[in-house]
Formats: sequence, structure tokens, C-alpha cells
Amino acid sequence: MTTTTATRAPAPTGPAGAGSALAGTGTLVRFMLRRDRIKLPAWLLGITFFVVYYGAALPQLYRTEGDLRAISTFMTGPVGALIAGPGYGVDDPTVERLLVGIYGMYIILPAALMSILLVCRHTRVEEQAGRAELVRASVVGRHAQLTATLIVAAVANMVLALLIGAAMAGNGFDAGDGLLFGASVGAAGLAFAGVTAVTVQVTEYSRAAAGLAGVALGAAYVIRAAGDMLDEGGSALSWLSPIAWSQQTRAYVDGRWWPLALSVAFAAAAAAVGYVLSTRRDVGLGLFAARRGAPGAASWLRSSLTFAFRLQRAGLIGWGAALAAAGAIYGGITEPIVDAVEDLPADVIAVLGGDAANMLDGYLSVMALFDALLVGVFVILGVQLLRSEETKGRAEPVLATATSRWAWFGSHLTVLALGAVGLLVAVGGALGAATAISVGDAGYVGDSVAAHLVYTPALLVLLGVAALLFGVLPRAIGATWGVLGFGLIIGFFGPIMDLPQWVHNLSPLEHIARLPLEQLTWAPMLILTVIAAGLLAIGLYGFRRRDLETK
Amino acid sequence: MTTAMSVSGLVKTFGSTRALDGLDLSVATGEVHGFLGPNGAGKSTAIRVLLGLLHADSGRATLLGGDPWNDAVELHRRLAYVPGDVELWPNLTGGEAIDLLARLRGGLNKARRDELVERFDLDPRKKGRTYSKGNRQKVAIVAALASDAELLLLDEPTAGLDPLMEVVFQDFIFQAKAAGKTVLLSSHILAQVEKLCDRVSIIRLGKVVQSGSLTEMRHLTRTTIEAETAQPAAGLAELPGVHDVQGDDGRVHFAVDGEHLDGAIRQLTRFGIRSLTSHPPTLEELMLRHYGDELEANGGTHADADAGTGETR
Repeated sequence: MTTTTATRAPAPTGPAGAGSALAGTGTLVRFMLRRDRIKLPAWLLGITFFVVYYGAALPQLYRTEGDLRAISTFMTGPVGALIAGPGYGVDDPTVERLLVGIYGMYIILPAALMSILLVCRHTRVEEQAGRAELVRASVVGRHAQLTATLIVAAVANMVLALLIGAAMAGNGFDAGDGLLFGASVGAAGLAFAGVTAVTVQVTEYSRAAAGLAGVALGAAYVIRAAGDMLDEGGSALSWLSPIAWSQQTRAYVDGRWWPLALSVAFAAAAAAVGYVLSTRRDVGLGLFAARRGAPGAASWLRSSLTFAFRLQRAGLIGWGAALAAAGAIYGGITEPIVDAVEDLPADVIAVLGGDAANMLDGYLSVMALFDALLVGVFVILGVQLLRSEETKGRAEPVLATATSRWAWFGSHLTVLALGAVGLLVAVGGALGAATAISVGDAGYVGDSVAAHLVYTPALLVLLGVAALLFGVLPRAIGATWGVLGFGLIIGFFGPIMDLPQWVHNLSPLEHIARLPLEQLTWAPMLILTVIAAGLLAIGLYGFRRRDLETK
Repeated sequence: MTTAMSVSGLVKTFGSTRALDGLDLSVATGEVHGFLGPNGAGKSTAIRVLLGLLHADSGRATLLGGDPWNDAVELHRRLAYVPGDVELWPNLTGGEAIDLLARLRGGLNKARRDELVERFDLDPRKKGRTYSKGNRQKVAIVAALASDAELLLLDEPTAGLDPLMEVVFQDFIFQAKAAGKTVLLSSHILAQVEKLCDRVSIIRLGKVVQSGSLTEMRHLTRTTIEAETAQPAAGLAELPGVHDVQGDDGRVHFAVDGEHLDGAIRQLTRFGIRSLTSHPPTLEELMLRHYGDELEANGGTHADADAGTGETR
């Protein structure tokens, strides 16, 4: 004890300045692991579970060579590139190639999300809550918290790589390529841990930090998808995205490890930026000081409707900008896609719609479905914001004013419904305009906007489900995600899954005509609107009847 | 004198917890009514029922002549509320929150708002998430007091305010009272209630255990007497309503129930009083009498509380 103190004592004056900046790192690592003892294993096992599940389920789904061919044909070209990846091995499909090449995307995304939340949780959240101050006041070096967090993130992603490798081997696939796939997933996680190490330095608020990292993840997805659509196997554009590096390892095709060096180097470089930025700010503060705001409310801010708009405004602007940008990118690459498709074998073109013009219509309709699902995410998050208004105690003072329950809830629902329509127009317009410019046909603007707008009734049903749950069973509001997830699975994988028609019919999105490929049908849209109105009415009535949940 | 609110037999349960267990409460128009009780006694639940935010399981409540649940919106135009734990919108400034809450109520008095902001020393340009608890509380207080509401429902409004601001708050409550407003002030700060309130209701485990003016309540409770007499006083312990007699030589110390004070003093005068100090029970003692058994159960024994337990029930 005494000797340890004696040898440690001169450290700060000695040359080991870096050592003192890291003092306490080991203890913090153990502390973080202890705090995450449930959360982290849950993430790791949850992600691994999906690998195990797909490994067991896919051979059941695709029993014959023919089944495998059918899906791989479907996944060739822009659709596969949009929702899955560069498409290595789909020309000669095996179960493990499909698992890695198509479902792999949805293993990589949660790994990135896990890393973003992990880094955020142990850095900015701690600072915002004031707990970091308590820790930093003890014998803990300046860089210890970030270092410990990154160590935990690295360990978590390494464990994830091993777990996935073991799961692939356990499924009876080649163990070496399994480990490569696992490492690819872990490398993506590591890259976004690095990104988050930067974003947590920028603002004072943990949600903004996680949001910024989320935007980076979204951008990485969009860039990868655009790049992969341009060329089979990915183009130079793809290589700008950390997600692509993980997909370019080509596990089970001709596996190669070197793209992961890019991921690791990127993570290290990002972390280094994080360290540098962290030395330029004080504990608890961001790089930029919080701005002071208006001393009073703007004159338009005087009704429950305008107030609901004010609360949802940031989300609307953010979503609108992101969707319009994505729409512009996806629209801008239509021309090369059409070119690429024309090079495809004739039987593939037949599956995709027959000729290049049809192909473009098909592309627009797929993009519209994809965008409608994203707007669905906005809708659910909007109702969840309302829910947190209630549980955090912010609804209480408002409902104690002359604002009725109906006015309060109804205002938010109105803003969300109009917001959803606005977002559909924004993304549809951006996609259409970019497509029109790309192929030189102005008609695509109207086509694209219409293809997007027809999803309004389906999104209203989604809003209705969330509203119903909020009014009647508020704790179960998260179940709305199930409706959206179901819509995604049926929408994209339904055609290749052998499911009875009534299962397809359960998804509100399935009743919408896929414009401009199909003819517009009004009846289902009308029925969906009536269903949505019913759900909304029950939700409003239920909320009027129930107790407000208070803190 | 009209009644601003009357509540009888109010019951509210959350799962197996009975937050309100037959609550009775009556507040006259123009009165500042103290609503005293420890945390978890049901004060906030009662106020939320009165605001129509919670639906009572049974019992009756009338507020400004209306039904709190059915007439919520109309009633809310005439009242202002300060929650016990104020949460603000992270990306709205304090000033925006004040204006918004007031406008949603039906307008605010701009000059008064500015005066309140200044007196409470509040920076209205800061974003909600950067305010301390005390400052969030100030935002809600300013929003409530800047209104022309005839009824103020204040749920522990000064928790988190420093003593200086506490004084400012008291000033404004006196002003509200002078303007004829009715105030229900829930608190566990006894000094505050003692200073501001005309009448007090003590709530415990969802029931009002005592209600009345402070004078009435003191009458019901024990006064502590310390006296020096020419000859050692005797015979006090035998008198009705006299407790805990201690003394030696010419000094005596005892507690006496309000209604037996006269008899005790008469007895004392027979021994020649040289000095006499008496002090009326503080709200602390009132509270301890009602919560004495709880304190005892927690191991915090208190002589007065022990003696008082079970007296009034």
C-alpha cells in the first residue's frame, strides 16, 4: 500500500504526463462494465440471436436451389442495393451468402447503434447528469473517461465479433468466414464508436450527441446505398461509407480482411479527434456555448395547435432536410442505374418490370415505400414525444390551463398528420426533381410526389394505432413499432416469403397502389382513412377518460 | 362567505395504494388555506384531482361551483397552478414558457409579468434545460402569479427557492390575498404556512386529520409552561389535562391541554408566580402530534410527540 503510493506519487511531475491523464481508467472500465452488466449482454446476445435465427430460418425458407435463385434475382440491382448491400455472391446464392449479403445489413445497423448509445451513455450522459463531475473530482485523469468508454466499446465489439463467428460456425457454416463476418459487424460498431467520441464533444446535450451520431449513421447508409446502386459490387462512392468497408469483406464469397483495416484506422482517427476536441472544452460544456433565447414567446405561439407545432418543429425540420437530401441523392443516380440495369441479363430485367422505363417506375415505387416507412418512423417518434411530455410532467401544467385534453392531444395529432404529408411531399418532390433532371423527363416530379402521397392513408392508420395506444394503453405505445416493422418486412421481403394473402393484408402499407408502376386505386385508401379516423377517435376518447400519468 | 372549494369523501387508489382515503376539505373564498402534510400524504394527488388531471374513484369535489373533471377547461380559465416538481421544455426559454402557459390560460398581465420576473431575479432568456430546480419553480410561479386567476393552487411552490426569494414569494401571496384571491398552499414548510395561512388542513395518509384556523388548532393542543413560584408548586400533576410535570425547588415545567390552561394557571397562582413563560404550540408540534406514531416507528422518538400520540383520535 505505502510502497505503491510512494512510487506513484512523483508521476505527475515526471515525464509520464499522459499517464496521469489516464489515471483511473482501469477502475472506470470495471465500473462501466458493472453498470452495463445487463444492458451490454442484452445488446450482444440480442444481435447474435438474429444471426442464429436467420441461420436456422433461411434454410427453411429457401429449401431448393430455385427458391434461392428467386430471391437472389429479386435482390439483384437497385432494390437489393438500397436495402441490403453491394450484392456479392447473389449470382451464385447459398444460404450463408444470402445471410451475409442481404440480412447482414440489419446486423451491422444494430451493432452501430449499440456503439453509439454506449459511448454516449458513458460520456455525455454522465456529464449532463452531473455524475461525471463527481468522478472527475477524484483521482481520475482528464482522458480517463473517454478512454475507458472506448475500451469498453472496443471490447464489446470484439466480443460481438466472436459471438457472431461462433453463431455462424454453430449454424454449420464455414467458421473462418463466419469470424470474418463477425469482425465486419464489430468493425462497423467500432467505427461508429469513434464517430460518437467526436459528436459527444460538440454539444452539451446527450440527445443531440446521439442524434448527430445517428445522422452520421444515416448518411453512411445513404452513401453506401447510392454507391451500391451505381455499380454491381459497389462503386467508389460506396467506399466513402464505413458501412461499405464491412460489406466489402465479401465473407463466404472470396473473403478478404483488409477493408477492416480502414474501419479500425477510421475509428482511431475519429477517437483522436475526440481527444483533441475534449481538451478544448470544460467538463459539462460543449464546444459551443449554449445560446440564449427569446425573452418571451413569439406572438403566434398562443394556441395548443401552434404550441404542438413548436414542440414538433425541430423534428419536422430535421426529418424534412434529411429526407429531401436522401431523395435528391437517390433521384440523382437514376440515370446510371437505368444504364446498369440495361446491362443485366434479360431474365432479371423481366423480373424487375420488363424494360428500362418500367424499371424506373419500379424504382420510384420502391423508393416511395421506403420513404413512407421512414415517415412512419417520424410519426411514431412524434407520438412518443407526446408520451414523454406526459411522463416527464410537462403536459401537466399545460392541461391545468384552459387547454382541454382533446385540444392538447388533437393538436399534436394534427401536426403529426400534416407533418407526415409535408414530409412525403418534400421527399417525393426532391426524389422526383432529381430523377427528372437525371433522365431529362419533367413528368417524374408529379409521378414521384403522387407515388409518395398515396401512402398518406397508411401513415394515418399508423398514427391512429399510436394514438389509440396512447389514449387507452399508454405503456404499450412501443407496440406501434411492431406495425411499422411488419410493414417493412412484408413490403420488402413479402414477395419472396411464402405467406398467405391475409398476412400481407395486415400491413396497412400493402393496400396502397405502388405508383407509378400500378394503377391508382381509391377504395382501399378511403377504407384506410376511415379506419384511421376510427382509431384516432378511440384514442382521443380514451385519453379524455383516463388519468394523466404524473411524475 | 362563499366556498371556493369543497371536497368530501374523496378516494383515489393507484393499484394497491390508497393515495386519498376519504379526504374532506373546505376552503372559503378569499382565504389562504394551508395544506400541510409530509411527502406522500396525498397533497399532490388531491390537487391533481381538483384540476381534473386525475379522476377520483369516489367522493365529491366542487371547485368554484363546478365539477373539476367535467368542467375542467372552464374552471382552468379562473385558476392558476404551480406544480410541485416543475419540468420545462428543454428547447423553450423560461420567458417563452411563461407567456405560453399564461396565454393558454387566457392571457396575461404584461406589466405584472415583467415585475415578477424582475422581483424573482429570473433570466427569461435561458433555455429550459439549463435552469436549476429553483429557477424552474420561479418560471411556474411567475406564470401563475402574472395571471388574473381568482384561485391559486400551489403545490409546494417554494421548494428549491432560497430564503430571499421565499420572502418575495410571501409578498406576492399577501398581495393576492389583499386582492381577494383564494389560495390553496400545499407545503411541508411550517414557518411558511404559519406566516401566510388563515386556515390549515393537516393531511396524513390520504385523510385530513385536522382542519381549522391556527388559533382553533392551538386551542386543541398543549401549551408548554415554565414557571418560577415562591413556594414549590404542588398538585399540578393531579389536575386534568396537565402532563409531564417536572420541577424542583421553585421551578416547574409542564404541558397543558388548551382547554385546561385556565385551571392550571389558577393552581399555579396559589404558589406565588415569580416568572412565567408559556409558548403556544408551533406547527411543528401540531404535526408531531399527528405524525408521532410514524416517527416512533422510524425510531425518532420525541417526548412531546409520544405524549401526544392517540390523544385526538
